[in-house]
Amino acid sequence: MLGGVVIGVPLVLALLGPLFAGEPDPRGMSFALGDGHWLGTDFVGRDVWQQVLHGGRPVVLTALAATALAYAVAVPLGLLSALTHRRWLEELLMRPLDVLLAVPSLLLILLVASVFEPGAVGLALLVAVVNIPDAARIVRAAAAEVAARPAVEALRMQGETWWRMAVGYVGRATLRTLAADAGVRLTGVLYLVATAAFLGVGVAPDAADWAVMVDRNRTGLAVQPWAVVVPALLIVALTTGSNLLFDAALDKRSTQKERRP
Amino acid sequence: MNDELTQPDPVAEITNLRVEIDGRAIVDGVDLRVLPGKVTALVGASGSGKTTTGLALLGEYPPGARVTGDVRAPAGVGYVPQHPAAVLNPARRVSALLYDIARDRVRHLHRRERKAAARAHVLRALADAQLPDGEALLGRYPHQLSGGQQQRVVLAQALLLGARVIVADEPTTGQDALTKSRIVDELSAVAAQGIAVVLLSHDLDVVRALADDVLVMRAGQVVESGPPERLWVAPRHEWTRRLLDAQAPVAKDETVSDDAGTLLRVQDLTARHRDGSRGATVAVRVPELTLRAGECLAVVGRSGSGKTTLARCLAGLHRDHSGEIRLDGRALPRSLRQRDREQLAAVQYVFQDARSAFDEYRPVLAQVARTAVRLRGVDERTARAEALTTLTRLGLPEELAGRHPARLSGGELQRAALARALLAHPRVLICDEITSGLDTVTRRGILDVLAGLLRDRDDLSLVLITHDLDTARLAHRIAVLDAGELVEQGPAEQVLSEPRHPFTVSLTETTARLAAGT
Repeated sequence: MLGGVVIGVPLVLALLGPLFAGEPDPRGMSFALGDGHWLGTDFVGRDVWQQVLHGGRPVVLTALAATALAYAVAVPLGLLSALTHRRWLEELLMRPLDVLLAVPSLLLILLVASVFEPGAVGLALLVAVVNIPDAARIVRAAAAEVAARPAVEALRMQGETWWRMAVGYVGRATLRTLAADAGVRLTGVLYLVATAAFLGVGVAPDAADWAVMVDRNRTGLAVQPWAVVVPALLIVALTTGSNLLFDAALDKRSTQKERRP
Repeated sequence: MNDELTQPDPVAEITNLRVEIDGRAIVDGVDLRVLPGKVTALVGASGSGKTTTGLALLGEYPPGARVTGDVRAPAGVGYVPQHPAAVLNPARRVSALLYDIARDRVRHLHRRERKAAARAHVLRALADAQLPDGEALLGRYPHQLSGGQQQRVVLAQALLLGARVIVADEPTTGQDALTKSRIVDELSAVAAQGIAVVLLSHDLDVVRALADDVLVMRAGQVVESGPPERLWVAPRHEWTRRLLDAQAPVAKDETVSDDAGTLLRVQDLTARHRDGSRGATVAVRVPELTLRAGECLAVVGRSGSGKTTLARCLAGLHRDHSGEIRLDGRALPRSLRQRDREQLAAVQYVFQDARSAFDEYRPVLAQVARTAVRLRGVDERTARAEALTTLTRLGLPEELAGRHPARLSGGELQRAALARALLAHPRVLICDEITSGLDTVTRRGILDVLAGLLRDRDDLSLVLITHDLDTARLAHRIAVLDAGELVEQGPAEQVLSEPRHPFTVSLTETTARLAAGT
């Protein structure tokens, strides 16, 4: 319930905000308060409220897309390497990822960005790629523990299909770990998207973007805190809300399951 | 009643204890007097409330429980749980685990004398807990000890605390006969020191050997109590009689025709366990073993003797072995991934721990039915109906079968596991210690099911993996494994009555000694 409200505010703002934002006002003074701007103006004198309304969509969409994409690759990889008995296959799948893991993610993003100059889609792809190695490792570690249970051997004795074993049981049993990881990862991805935006990868340096707003308006924090506090709070609400929501969903499931007659 | 007067005062006493959870009484009106130097046993099936009563002596109750009644117990009550590994910190050596407690007891001494005094305390506690070579164990971590040693370390901790009452929860469940008799010695030695022992057990042999006073519990109530001599000879309550009957040997089908063909033949099998990246230890070596159609073969051995590995080789769950396993003269692939549908169906395996062998997210019935769908190509609805029939026949009605595994008891799940394997219409059914974690009455139920299967299905052969000679009595032939070597095999009567190998002799003798109650 609480999770829903906490995540609802930034999500609604991000998705519907641009519809209500209207035409941009003429620019005013930098870091001014009042004067018809409820939340003051930002570092180039734009209305902060309008920027907030506009700035959610790119952050939220990029972060969500990147997280989803990372799992879309990491989950099959992790399950495959946890369930195979062929060591070479496991090595083949996991070792290249270890190499990727060794390179600092920001460095990798900057390196690729200097060559390709990606847009928002490119940024989502890049952030997803740098998140795959550790997501895959976590999936594999969680799945390996489940795959060693007698239940999996019993499924094999039944001649069960790989899909039913991997997704129907092992995947299902690792869901709790994955949900915990997804909450943390979304936060990490938001941070990475924000940092990349700050360094000018994927977005224009003065784009309406919560992450960019936090970074750009820092200089005026003492004069006009709202330009930093509001977008920062929205990002916090997004991550906290998603964590709360995951926790609530899992709690409900487990109490239903554990209740005995 | 002169006898009453000479009795010493009880060290702990429970009067009219009632523990309720959500309005349901799990312990109801229990009285218990614990006398120093005596062993008081609480006997009953799982869920009868004996653990709750035992834990009440420690002042522990299940969460959300409403407790009425009076519990009087001294400050030091030691508890030896069923799984001792769970209470030993795996990251610390045995010495650290014991010195932490000993340190409190030498606080009054001068700083310089403390270390030596603590060491003396620790060594004496280890000796009292029947670990005379305790010094050698001090440097080890809990996972480097056997289950029996872990149990004794926990006992030593309790003794170091100066416990005057020790509650031992199912100390012998799942142990082989030799280990059991050692536990009996250990607990009687503790009682001989004037410490009161409260034994919670469903193992009637051990109770008979140890207890001075027995309380039979059922559904939270004490239905009968008295000294074991009287209970065994003249049980008054019908439930006590059922518990005792469960010990009687299972009636078995004696007839396996001599011309029954060889169904499964194992030749020159050597199975290995890989240790890390290189090197392998031989887990089991079997030159030759045959199983005839319609026969029940028991593979007997202590824990660690390689009997489970042998069974897993047969089922294709352990790939790392050389030698041949032939079914009907055709070699079976080593790994079950290479076995085709027919071969998979022919050799089925039932796991020791039924709970972890089921998918906890799906109803039992759906999981059982999948065997028929996958291995026999039956359509979904027929499979479901067939699963239901089999489950009902094994004693699991539809209402229970539709539940998730978490809401079934261990015995019920084991029945479901048997049904799951049987739906494949197997020719060889391997049962790996399927009764070891169960209480006597439930175990008897499962054994009766197995005996019934042998009687009704002529084409079914059983391989019973067990450490328990009483279970092995069900079999036509017995093979004995010791430290990975097949030391003896032959007809059941012969192996049980005139064992040839010294290991088999010691196994049968210990079992007989436990059963005789000495």
